[in-house]
Amino acid sequence: MNSQKTKLDDSQLVSQYINGNEVAFEQLVIRHKSRIFTTIYMIVKDHYVAEDLMQEVFIKSIRTLKSGRYNEEGKFLPWILRIAHNLAIDKFRKNKRYPTIVMDDGNSVFETLEFAEGSFEDAQMKKDMHKSLRKLIQELPDAQKEVLIMRHFMDMSFKEISEQTGVSINTALGRMRYALINLRKKMQQYNIAYDQNFYS
Amino acid sequence: MTKIFTHDDLIRYVYEETTTEENRLIEKSLAVDSALLEQCQELHRIKEQLDGSMMSPSEKTINTILEYSKGFNLHPVKD
Repeated sequence: MNSQKTKLDDSQLVSQYINGNEVAFEQLVIRHKSRIFTTIYMIVKDHYVAEDLMQEVFIKSIRTLKSGRYNEEGKFLPWILRIAHNLAIDKFRKNKRYPTIVMDDGNSVFETLEFAEGSFEDAQMKKDMHKSLRKLIQELPDAQKEVLIMRHFMDMSFKEISEQTGVSINTALGRMRYALINLRKKMQQYNIAYDQNFYS
Repeated sequence: MTKIFTHDDLIRYVYEETTTEENRLIEKSLAVDSALLEQCQELHRIKEQLDGSMMSPSEKTINTILEYSKGFNLHPVKD
């Protein structure tokens, strides 16, 4: 049987946190930090800005949760991802520029190394490939990138995306299709280790 | 006779937005249509790559968030 700790879902953790359990909050942060951070990063394209915004997102959510203004009917992850998305979009619009300094050199300072398996070379290859993939996502047309971020990183359904962006579900699906096709083409074009195993 | 599925159907399938009935029909088609199977595997693969491309914030950022939370008490902790 799983421990109680692993069985708690987000809404249970939120309830415990609102009642003063900081460990519950820590679990929520650990559980969702990558998805939230990646969503922010994909929009602002700057590691340092993303770190700052990550803090802002959680400060805002902590204040809402602890002041009793959180709507328990909603789900925690979509709620906090909406905060992250809105803050990142605001920041991006204020800056109105694509930052020239991105993660290439700064990444190693911040990113957690989580490659427990394989050689150092394997881990480095994997890391480089993921870095390249993030760059390719940035090169997608805005409409495709928006749907990709919302569907994959924000975990929104195509119906929710359609409602939020004001397009039909089929259009959202079509944009996702082109985003994935374009990513695959670019990965092949730049010889990124996308389907080495698949086509071998 | 098997239904013809589009790439969009496969995207919904890979992202788990298809119904149980659609899943059954898609899986039936995948068993006999190698081109469809290849497309589906390709989608799974890129989805995995996208999962792998997720990033983590620094430990410092996480610690700052957790410390902020501990120090922020608008209303008293309930028993």
